[in-house]
Amino acid sequence: MLRFRTTPAAAIAFALLTACGGSDKTPKRSAIVDSRDTYDPRSFDPALSTDVPTGRAVGYVFEGLTRFSPDAQVEPALASSWTVSDDGRIWRFTLRQNVKFHDGSAFTANHVVASFTRVLDPKTRGGRGWPLFPIQGATDFAAGKSNAISGLKIENDSTVVVTLTEPFAIFPKLLAMPVASIVPATVAPDFGEKPVGTGPWKLAEWKHDDFVRFVRNDAYWGTKPLQDTLIARIIPEPSTAVAEFESGNVDILYIPEAETRQWEQTDEKKVLLQAAPVLRLWYVAMNTTRGPLKDVRVRRAINHAIDTRAILTQLLGGRGRLAAGIIPPALDGSDTTRVPYAHDVAKAKQLLTDAGFPNGISVRLWCSQDATQSRVAQAIQGYLKEAGITAELVQRESASMREAARKGDADLVLKDWYADYPDAENFLYPLLHSANAGVGGNVSFFRDASFDSVVTASRRETDITKRTAMYVRADSIAFAQAPMVFLLFYNELYAVQPWLKNWSAPTIFNGQRMIGARIDHGTP
Amino acid sequence: MTFLARRLLLAIPTLAGVLVAVFLLLYVAPGDPVQQMVGERADSVTIARLRAELKLDEPLPVQFASYAGGVLTGDLGRSYITGRPIMQDIRERFPKTAQLALAAMTIAILLGIGIGVLAALKPAGAFDKLLMGATYLGISFPVFWVGLLLILLFALTLKWLPPSGYGGGLVLILPALTLGSRSIAYLARVTRSSMLDAMSSDHVRTARAKGVSNASVVLRHGLRTALIPVVTVLGLDVGSYLTGSILTETVFGWPGLGRYVVNAIARRDLPAIQGTVLFLSVVFVLVNLLTDIAYKRSDPRVG
Repeated sequence: MLRFRTTPAAAIAFALLTACGGSDKTPKRSAIVDSRDTYDPRSFDPALSTDVPTGRAVGYVFEGLTRFSPDAQVEPALASSWTVSDDGRIWRFTLRQNVKFHDGSAFTANHVVASFTRVLDPKTRGGRGWPLFPIQGATDFAAGKSNAISGLKIENDSTVVVTLTEPFAIFPKLLAMPVASIVPATVAPDFGEKPVGTGPWKLAEWKHDDFVRFVRNDAYWGTKPLQDTLIARIIPEPSTAVAEFESGNVDILYIPEAETRQWEQTDEKKVLLQAAPVLRLWYVAMNTTRGPLKDVRVRRAINHAIDTRAILTQLLGGRGRLAAGIIPPALDGSDTTRVPYAHDVAKAKQLLTDAGFPNGISVRLWCSQDATQSRVAQAIQGYLKEAGITAELVQRESASMREAARKGDADLVLKDWYADYPDAENFLYPLLHSANAGVGGNVSFFRDASFDSVVTASRRETDITKRTAMYVRADSIAFAQAPMVFLLFYNELYAVQPWLKNWSAPTIFNGQRMIGARIDHGTP
Repeated sequence: MTFLARRLLLAIPTLAGVLVAVFLLLYVAPGDPVQQMVGERADSVTIARLRAELKLDEPLPVQFASYAGGVLTGDLGRSYITGRPIMQDIRERFPKTAQLALAAMTIAILLGIGIGVLAALKPAGAFDKLLMGATYLGISFPVFWVGLLLILLFALTLKWLPPSGYGGGLVLILPALTLGSRSIAYLARVTRSSMLDAMSSDHVRTARAKGVSNASVVLRHGLRTALIPVVTVLGLDVGSYLTGSILTETVFGWPGLGRYVVNAIARRDLPAIQGTVLFLSVVFVLVNLLTDIAYKRSDPRVG
């Protein structure tokens, strides 16, 4: 995710100088003003949505068959209910009646098939169709090998039957992703600028790199938003967003990492804070195909060498929880009793000696130019040195770093992973399954037959209890094989103005659609 | 051939050079644009298909010919990331950058020359020392830092001005002051020394001997002569207004071309980068041309 960051010195000085708290004067405006976007959404075309500001914006204007609640539960949206066949492959979605697009046309089963077909169509140039790939015939169609998607059938105006290639129990979660949003049957070439959806908000005005203004959809089928206007301001510089918040011009603020302590330690600011345990893992991918890193003892040694607790408390303002595996604690399959690798330099050295490297090893550690990431990388470099591991820092902007990691040219890569949908599968499968080695997300190039077979089986398992047990097992294999340094699960921290009521920070990026949030003007 | 025609002809190889250089630079730089398009999770089939559709696997000369052909017909292509025409993006953003630059220049001219003249009135006096000390700070402070300090003072503490955003009124003041800060300091120093020279010249002494009022001596006889080097400095500075706007636009959330190109670079949005650089080159060439014409007018020896 692209983010501009202030220099650390400027951020700290700014934090010290701005000692005052949030503004206590309730504004007269009726619009909710959000300042979380640091860059312009790419487009309102759901087929182009891959990043957070875009996904959030698409989520206001469009809906899928399903959606996420702020605490990341999957709920019915344009599908009022669904059933699945015993073999887990055939999904029958009953569609909601009397739903209208913003242009007044009625939503029917045709739109579901047309929308999915459009996303997968090579002509759309989206390249983001993977959430729909489980549908039978989808990959062939996306590759231009067939003219239709065999797994999509319209039974009648209010029923769509989706057949999957193989059972995939969490399929409804993938349908809540922005890319699976339902769009009109035909879209104009400037659809990305003038979107037409069925969602609770309509796009009213988009000033690129400045703000996006939404107005309430008064014809919305569900609970309508309480406020009539929602404005997403695009503020690239975090310190500027802080200034806007303290001036009372914005209602929701993302607290920059470097300012965490200062907000938490000032009483009048502390009361405004809201933390959300987002589904985000910080880790160092270790390329298990390169040199000494092929040896599990070396990978464990690296895990033992790094003081993750100090990194969490000193560099990330304590915003998170140490990781012992890759499944965030908020998800089924997380084993909260598992103990993280302890910081133990002697043990690290011993493991290196056992692996045949008594004099240590040399690796290259890649990191992005993000201020926080580069501080964490420097700390890791220091810890590795104590254990006799020489780590050369390779700092590149994220585009180059990502390419090197995907090609397998990097030993260690400091990364974070932000869930697309709230399920352990979204961590286990892309990050460590051998099918996703390289571009799919597994930049550890981890290939473990027992891990692969458990994860593959879990994807097909329809019983949630059995599936959860498989997640736990897969996670413990990953933890023991250590294809990464397990750093931490991140908590996002927001400040919310006292007059903004009933807003909660979402666990998943598109889970908060500003329906119940309202500005309390108080009693005159 | 006239001066103007010759200069316009010379601009063509310059722009062609820019076109080739930017194109080559971007293909040498690491970072695959398609990997930026598809996001964190992808598959190699999709990536290969998109590369083929965008003709990224064609030989370099073929790619260049197709791009240059588009440019010649006025088509800068579409953004890989947003799908919007680049020309439309530039049309939306450049006026905002130009507006900011003009405002900054106006502030710099008024404040810079004003401070310079005031300081030159009593050289080495307390006021002169104070102002020149301040200009040292103005030149040495990074634009970024100046911007944050101004927000802190005028928006948060005094609450006189909005902290950020886009507009023509009050919201323009802080970004313009930030972008102009370095120029204010620089112009003040140049004006001061140039004024000191002018005030000790023969024609000023003559004017005083004739009994002309002090204000008239300073403004009509001193400042007019002193302005010649100031105008030169100003002309050379136009480029720094366009480049300096990148940081200023980021601090103040100003939706101009500077932020646009930085975003494009981070996302490897090749058509957007190429189009913007090419467009800015044309602007530079035109500004230089105007400066040259102005010189020629004021000094017949240039030609």
